Amino acid sequence: MTMHRSVPLLRACRYVAAILISLIFFVPMLVAIVSAFKTPAELTDVLSLPAHLDTQNFTTGWQQVGRGVLNSLMITVPAVILSVFIGSVAAYPLSMMNAARSRFVYFFLLSGMFVPFQIVQIPVFYIMRAVGLYNTIPGLWVVHIAYGIPICTFFMRNFFATVPRSLYEAAQLDGCGPAGYFFKILLPASMTGIAALSIVQSRSVWNDLLFAMTLTNSGNTMPVTAALNGFVTAIQVQYGPLMASSIISVIPMLLVFLLFQKAFVRGLLGGSSK
Amino acid sequence: MKAKHQSMQAQRNRVYVLFLAGPVVLFLIAYVYSVGYTVNLSLHSWDGLSPVSKFVGFDNYISLFKSARFENTVINNLKWLVFYLLVPTTLGLSIALLLDGKLKGEGIFKTIIFLPYIITPVAVSAVWRWLYVPDGGLFNTLITLVGFEDLTQNWLGDRGVVNFSVMLAALWCATGFSFLVFYSGLKSIPQEYIEAARIDGASPVSIFWNIVLPQLWPSTILVVGLFGIDAMRIFDIVWSMSGGGPARASEVLATQLYDVGFSTFRMGMASAIGVCQLIMAAVLILPYIMYIARRVEDHGE
Repeated sequence: MTMHRSVPLLRACRYVAAILISLIFFVPMLVAIVSAFKTPAELTDVLSLPAHLDTQNFTTGWQQVGRGVLNSLMITVPAVILSVFIGSVAAYPLSMMNAARSRFVYFFLLSGMFVPFQIVQIPVFYIMRAVGLYNTIPGLWVVHIAYGIPICTFFMRNFFATVPRSLYEAAQLDGCGPAGYFFKILLPASMTGIAALSIVQSRSVWNDLLFAMTLTNSGNTMPVTAALNGFVTAIQVQYGPLMASSIISVIPMLLVFLLFQKAFVRGLLGGSSK
Repeated sequence: MKAKHQSMQAQRNRVYVLFLAGPVVLFLIAYVYSVGYTVNLSLHSWDGLSPVSKFVGFDNYISLFKSARFENTVINNLKWLVFYLLVPTTLGLSIALLLDGKLKGEGIFKTIIFLPYIITPVAVSAVWRWLYVPDGGLFNTLITLVGFEDLTQNWLGDRGVVNFSVMLAALWCATGFSFLVFYSGLKSIPQEYIEAARIDGASPVSIFWNIVLPQLWPSTILVVGLFGIDAMRIFDIVWSMSGGGPARASEVLATQLYDVGFSTFRMGMASAIGVCQLIMAAVLILPYIMYIARRVEDHGE
């Protein structure tokens, strides 16, 4: 869509505005990066540039949150794979059954989307303690799978509805049962949808702080968000190492974004973008 | 032939039920049982440790509704809702309109605006707390530099300013999402619509109101809906940026619940806060979920 007629002056104004806005959006990131390379003495002047790239902060930062990054990876990767799978499993029958029959289950699962997670915070804490999953990484898998059901079901149901019905009929003629169709044909044919949802889910699992704080209390299980939060809210904050830690905590998601930008955007738009 | 068809139908239904069973059971435990647990707990007084809890009826709710702290928290949550529904949406739309249409370097602008949305809220807090440091932080340094020393603030330490400060940081990351959605929405508007209107002599303003904005309706639903859900759940950025302070001025329901439940161990009271939050979300957000569900359903068939 182009609404703007190519008037040179208007174009120039748009450029100036675009550059200004991008600069404003970029400043916080720039300050964080520059500060991470400064010595404590240089940090006192926020507008100064570091004399040389001091990597001491990154060494300290890695000591602070390195383990958290590894924990987050061990939490996020299985949690995302499993929650996308469970969502697909629920979405498949809902996309195949006629609307009148599946509507109740569909709306029921979907209603979970509005529930603020805080209302289940206390029971989740006690349930996880009771079943011995408190302060374990598999415990966080379970929580992220369970609370991912509404969005994953919604997304995959939405996606499966776009897969042509003729694919199913052809599979049926070849003697493929409903379960066989799901595993052998539908899932492989839905890889773009699965990729998009996986990336959106990675972002929310990676960024989760609430369940992380509720369900972990030691360094060998704590994901990077909870670990970083400890340093953010400390009484004596060392901003140099903190900026380095923040950058370290963001890098994995940043890589995912840069590598799978298209799938990410598609996922954010509900899987339907062109 | 008919019998065979029926048995196939039956087999298919069995498989469907089998597929649905696992997710539905997990959902029942995670949502229905847990919400019931919290509702029940909200009628009790319990310290979270002792084996017995005392039934107190609606006492927790009564003391909540009487407390100035809770009132302030509810107002803050509503402020967050209004903020999310209005500010990042309009800003995202404006930037999308600005960047849309043959601008060199579009890709770079796009990435810079969108990047903050990927950053973990805790890391956003870390960076913005550094920008907000009263003595030597970027904001006050710049304000002093241009000669408005009187306008320097204790950004996170002043009761009157703190909500604004946290929202500004939230705006920085939320805008990336609304921008991206609107930007993609603009790209998908058929060019002929605009051309036709232009040939008919419509002004840019009228093209915007009568063609562009209605075509952006699906994007608007997506942005407004997800921001509404986010606003009702808001926790991370407030918790790690201000911790609800100073003197509880920036508390939202989620941070108050955490504080009451896990710092002072009044589990019944915390549960009552959770129930209030759920009811608010139900009233404000559930109609929306039903709307998109129906829309997608119609669309899919």
